[in-house]
Amino acid sequence: MRAISLELYKLRHKRLFLMAMLFFTVEIVWIFMAVNVSISRNSDYAGWEMLIAIISSMNGLFLPILAAICVSRICDMEHKGNTMKLLLTASARRSSLYAAKYITASIIMLVVCFLQGIAIIAFGIANGFEQPVPLNLLTRFLIGTVLTNMTIIAVQQWISMSVKNQVFALTLGMIGGFIGMAADLFPFEVRRFFVWSYYTGLSPVTQSYTSEKIQFMIQDMNSLLPAMVILVVAGIGIYLTGSIHVSRQEV
Amino acid sequence: MLRRCISAEWMKLRHSHIWVILIILPVISVLIGSANFYMNQGVLKREWYSLWSQVGLFYGEFFFPILIAILCAYMWRLEHFNKNWNMIMASPVSATGIFLAKFIVVGVMLLFVQILFFILYFLGGKLAGLTSNLPGELTGWLFRGWIAALAISALQLALSMRIRSFAVPIGIGLCSAFIGLGMYVANLGMFFPHSLLAIGMGVLSQTGISARESILFIVMNMLYIFVIAAGAIYSMSKADVRV
Repeated sequence: MRAISLELYKLRHKRLFLMAMLFFTVEIVWIFMAVNVSISRNSDYAGWEMLIAIISSMNGLFLPILAAICVSRICDMEHKGNTMKLLLTASARRSSLYAAKYITASIIMLVVCFLQGIAIIAFGIANGFEQPVPLNLLTRFLIGTVLTNMTIIAVQQWISMSVKNQVFALTLGMIGGFIGMAADLFPFEVRRFFVWSYYTGLSPVTQSYTSEKIQFMIQDMNSLLPAMVILVVAGIGIYLTGSIHVSRQEV
Repeated sequence: MLRRCISAEWMKLRHSHIWVILIILPVISVLIGSANFYMNQGVLKREWYSLWSQVGLFYGEFFFPILIAILCAYMWRLEHFNKNWNMIMASPVSATGIFLAKFIVVGVMLLFVQILFFILYFLGGKLAGLTSNLPGELTGWLFRGWIAALAISALQLALSMRIRSFAVPIGIGLCSAFIGLGMYVANLGMFFPHSLLAIGMGVLSQTGISARESILFIVMNMLYIFVIAAGAIYSMSKADVRV
């Protein structure tokens, strides 16, 4: 707990939350404009399913890049200030530092996810969606997004901590964003190997094009469970490998 | 003096492996764009133009602006380390020389990226089995894309100069890419550097732009480059360094 509060203390003048809010605002404004255009063209689309499906696919582009930026900011301050030596001589364990940074990045991304949930509800109510707020779908959407975020943070943190030059971490974030956005174009056998594709992969609503019309289908929770388990196992594996690798590196 | 500043910038980039990023990003955009074109040839029937719409959309709208942001952030990365700002400001070179040298080096690297993108686009089209001639507008798209990229570079260099963080200017760059897309859709594309890239490269509309629009495009880009560079140089000369 102390290590986490110290990480947050170190971030107090970094305006990282401001950056996350800027990203969140741009994404949500973009999505709501796209949804409004779709509804004005076809009022049948005015429903929660379309909103959740579009946010899931846009998250595939935005959140990997935001995760890369947040993690890079949190890790780079130790590289820039050369403070790792100081922290280690102050008897801080490397694994606790690694965990504190991971949890801090996860908290920031969690806040963004919750804000998305609130924004979805607000948009639906403001646009007079006929169905009641689908709390079940929203919870599943949030679980899928948070799990994917946490795995991506594990990947990014490994790179950001082990390679001083943050260019590579941010490039990976950008490539991840691109894969996340284009994930639905790949066959299932290919996309399941890319963690960035799970924003849409774990979304409770999927979209398909049949006879030039978009159809939104609700996914059964049981059908998503195997993918969730794979993702969680991959996330834990990446986190542990990263933590052990960074702990053994020379400072 | 400018020549020596430029050679110093090249020297700083020597072991940076930045070339990996310059190569990898166009390769990924062309690979995915070409694969999408190949799989949807039944719908995408305008041969090279359709291929351009597929590869150019991802590249011009997302990859290229972020590549520029990464490159510009990298150019100032060393200055933000340790006490290097004090050292560079105390060295016998002008602020103009420092900024222009970085701007020129970024410009040369972006030209290389554009040429690489053209080669990959050509190879992608040939591998997809396109036999017709290349579009006549292609040189214009690539050249105007480079000019707009220079305007974005000036903006990103100014941002990365002021913001110590490596990641934040890149985040701002991505947000700007989306704002630029919105301004392009709202027909205000000429008033934002990132929308100028979309117009110049013809990524959303492959119809060529008129001579009047071409002149306006060049003027707007030059204006952005001049105003932003002048502001950044002024700020570098007047503001105290933050270490």
